[in-house]
Amino acid sequence: MARARRLDRSSDNPYPHGEQVEFQYEGRPMLGQAGEPLAVALLAGGVRIFGRSIKYHRPRSPFCLHGHCSGCLLRVDGLPNVRSCRTALRAGMQVERQLGWPGSGRDLFRTLDWVYGERLDHHSLLTSSGTLARMAMGFVRKMAGFGHPPTAEPGPPAPKRRMSVPAVVIGAGLAGLHAAVELGQAGHRVVVLEAEELAGGRLCDASCKLAGATGWAARRELLSRLSALPGVELRLGTPALAVYGDQAVLQVLAAGPDETLALEPQRLVVATGAYAPLPQFEDNDLPGVLGPRALDRLVCGHGVLPGEPVLIAGDAQETLELAAALVERGIALAGLVTDRPEPELPAQLRTAKVPRVAGHRILRARGGRWVQRVELAPAGRETPDLVLDCGLVAAEAPAAPAFELAHHAGCRVVFRSALGHLVQTDAEGHTSHGQVLAAGHCAGAGSAEEARLQGQRAGLACALGLKDEPGLRQRLAALKA
Amino acid sequence: MRDRADLVIIGGGVVGLSLAYHLARLGFTDVVVLEQGYLCFGASGRNGGGVRQQWSTEENIQLMKESVQMFRRLSSETGYNVWFRQGGYLFLARDAASAQGLEANVKLQNRCGVPTRLISPAEAQRVVPGLAPAGIQVCAYNPTDGVLFPFPAVWGMARAATQLGVAVETFTRVTAIEARGRQIVKVVTDRGAIATNRVVNAAGAWSVQVARLLGVELPNKPYRHEILISEPLKPFLDPMVSDLSDGTYFSQTMRGEICGGVSDPAEPSSMETRSSLRFLERMCRAMVRVVPTLANVRVMRQWAGFYDETPDGQPILGRVDEVDGFIQLHGFGGHGMMLAPIVGKLAAEWILRKADHALFQRYDLGRFKRGEVQKETFSIG
Amino acid sequence: MGKTIVCQCEDVTQGDLEDAFEQGFRDLESLKRYTGLATGLCQGKCCIAHAARFLAALKGGDEAAADPPRTRPLLQPTPISCFAGPEELSASPASREGQK
Ligand SMILES: Cc1cc2nc3c(=O)[nH]c(=O)nc-3n(C[C@H](O)[C@H](O)[C@H](O)COP(=O)(O)OP(=O)(O)OC[C@H]3O[C@@H](n4cnc5c(N)ncnc54)[C@H](O)[C@@H]3O)c2cc1C
Ligand code: FES
Repeated sequence: MARARRLDRSSDNPYPHGEQVEFQYEGRPMLGQAGEPLAVALLAGGVRIFGRSIKYHRPRSPFCLHGHCSGCLLRVDGLPNVRSCRTALRAGMQVERQLGWPGSGRDLFRTLDWVYGERLDHHSLLTSSGTLARMAMGFVRKMAGFGHPPTAEPGPPAPKRRMSVPAVVIGAGLAGLHAAVELGQAGHRVVVLEAEELAGGRLCDASCKLAGATGWAARRELLSRLSALPGVELRLGTPALAVYGDQAVLQVLAAGPDETLALEPQRLVVATGAYAPLPQFEDNDLPGVLGPRALDRLVCGHGVLPGEPVLIAGDAQETLELAAALVERGIALAGLVTDRPEPELPAQLRTAKVPRVAGHRILRARGGRWVQRVELAPAGRETPDLVLDCGLVAAEAPAAPAFELAHHAGCRVVFRSALGHLVQTDAEGHTSHGQVLAAGHCAGAGSAEEARLQGQRAGLACALGLKDEPGLRQRLAALKA
Repeated sequence: MRDRADLVIIGGGVVGLSLAYHLARLGFTDVVVLEQGYLCFGASGRNGGGVRQQWSTEENIQLMKESVQMFRRLSSETGYNVWFRQGGYLFLARDAASAQGLEANVKLQNRCGVPTRLISPAEAQRVVPGLAPAGIQVCAYNPTDGVLFPFPAVWGMARAATQLGVAVETFTRVTAIEARGRQIVKVVTDRGAIATNRVVNAAGAWSVQVARLLGVELPNKPYRHEILISEPLKPFLDPMVSDLSDGTYFSQTMRGEICGGVSDPAEPSSMETRSSLRFLERMCRAMVRVVPTLANVRVMRQWAGFYDETPDGQPILGRVDEVDGFIQLHGFGGHGMMLAPIVGKLAAEWILRKADHALFQRYDLGRFKRGEVQKETFSIG
Repeated sequence: MGKTIVCQCEDVTQGDLEDAFEQGFRDLESLKRYTGLATGLCQGKCCIAHAARFLAALKGGDEAAADPPRTRPLLQPTPISCFAGPEELSASPASREGQK
């Protein structure tokens, strides 16, 4: 297994990177770049196991790098369960792993995973007698809980700001930014809430291609248009946490870096994108198995390659583009595994010598503390006919739109086998809730193009809801055509 | 679904299921339980799981003592771990009236054999690390109270009853009850009808609607009651802590989450089930006041359920004047989880005439007309 | 080893889903409560879609059977101190330069 290494960065890379700083990891000094996510610094420093899982004490490691899973939780400066992929590295940070005895690295409780090879049913554990059931309780209570309670001295509570605003857009991805641009151009005041420190959503991915341009270029262009609009206020690092619909006014709760916001919008556009769920195969949670967008961000964005060669599984356009982006950066691919027998490949992949395994899927991942190889099987078969060695895996999984915030508000959310749970909208982005619109991947958009279009329409429809204007109506009609 | 039954129980919450379970244990299994949603849909799947013997009337103390013993056995009886952990209950009194109330309660509880003690705020800090003693006059601590996990209690009773021969029908809503004169003849659901002469109304916050199907008016009112849990942390809090000054309560679940709620005098009666920002903020302020170091703990989820409240804070149990064979088991407010085992058992014995329990006369619906009400003063949340 | 993890926060496996279905927990609300999936630190972002597909498939492709369970705040765990502040700061919007 190759050691983790840092790649050269191109000048148009939007991800932050500062000077080298020292921090403490499990009591040892370690180096990283100020401002990069702590998880990235640790992966660059060769850390493989970030912690242990709650029940079977399986090794855990970053999977999504977008703050959506629980693979990267660490204890940081006396606070438990810190998402290290969402925490910018600072000099002097004290970082420790959680769970495991004697530690997370080598954890004797892992034997539980082997003893209960099939599964451990905690519902019926030791229920044959009252005394045994109470013993089970003692054991379970010992094992329960993620980190130890916080030891950091609490600061004063965050100040809270309540604001009435005409419009709030949640999510500064492709759809949300376009919605905000439309609203801003129509002269409305709008607050855009973005959980990440970097606006752009998928536009930050190297695999994102929009009408021939790279996502990074499209992002720069869109953000400069946005900053020219005086009514648009973009709040970064400010995750929306909830939408309350039990009062006469909608309330959007968000946690900013130094204040808590309770926004009361007349109209709300939800453009929260989608999550990367776990791909389903045996030992899918092995460290080194990542979602495609996580790998994109880690390798192409932050320029950190924790293992090589890379195996890519999936045949969505973005996944193939990701493979092409890796090839472009001179990274060795262990294979490109696709369900479909003959996917249409990007140009770089057609010329590069990439081992292609068509009509296959991953059956299981193998490796002790980090993925070392994967076993592949043809569609419909349960025995592998191919084993590929690799140092990193990006595996696609069916879509999982981020429907929750719209659901809080009471918007109708439906399930579609191919698309997941999505916020139901009409052609203009209206949901079942009169004040809420939705656009982009959370509303079922399948591609970047579609997300852009949905964002524009929802922005215009939202502006029209605030104030009727014939010009806007015409523009909306044109966009729908 | 069966088309006839000796007894139909409307409501698959912990109360209805406890009755079904105890009827079945007594050999009476021609019973159908009808639940409009999934098991745990009602208050029984949304509560804090608190079980305490610290009450202000001898009757409630004795009932809860029984329930505690029954919960200790429930896991092995049903094969589902209910994780009943006796980490105690700690009440905090911040004013003279509450302090006197605690003093009187403790004497009564001790007479009933419950080992509650009055302790100083300094002593309480040993029970609850990080407790802020400022402003607390005195505390009452009973180490044998506890908390459990509500879901498996519900599933366990449902499965045990089913295995003994009772039918539990989920996603089955009662839409009408037909009667001829004073006699019930049929329960109609959205999945078909069941011929029966006896119906138990164990529909919790919906019991008013169910009673109305037979023209019976109940004085109960539903109130939204909200609750939240934190991220799961390693065990550090043993008891349920309850601040009497504002009705705050919280404890640590078996999974390590801090779980609790707070009463809200401004909450109107309604069937609202959405969450509110108001609750989130009131609860967070209340928790930090009691244990300031909780400020750094993360809130993970909040949700809401109903308190099914009666005018005197006591449940409504027993017959009604208007219709024969229509038995009421509802109005459990914020303590139906802890009362369910014993009330289900006593009700089963009473219905099958194995024993007569005064409870079912004293707490019948008629008491409001007769003016015989005795208020339970020690309800929280 | 040899487990297919469905929910990585609570270590719920594909076997757990199948067992829950066998035990009669055949709607998403019940599947969630019985297995614990979607109740952990990620609150279901990584698992609920798979559970829905699992359920819909076992119910003969019935997509309506997989409507999402009731979604509750918060979207991500957030410190109590963020909500324990005084009632109100000010009603005026903050103008924050250099944010874009
Ligand atoms: C947030 C919260 C915290 C609480 N904390 C505690 C605590 O710590 N300790 C404690 O002891 N108690 C607590 N309680 C109270 C406790 O949960 C209730 O008292 C108890 O669950 C009541 O049980 P039940 O069976 O009467 O009602 P429910 O559990 O509500 O059951 C009634 C059932 O009837 C069904 N139903 C209604 N109408 C129909 C119909 N027409 N057809 C078919 N089915 C129907 C409903 O769907 C429901 O499932 C709390 C309650 C809440 C909301
Ligand atoms: S939350 Fe950090 S890797 Fe998924």
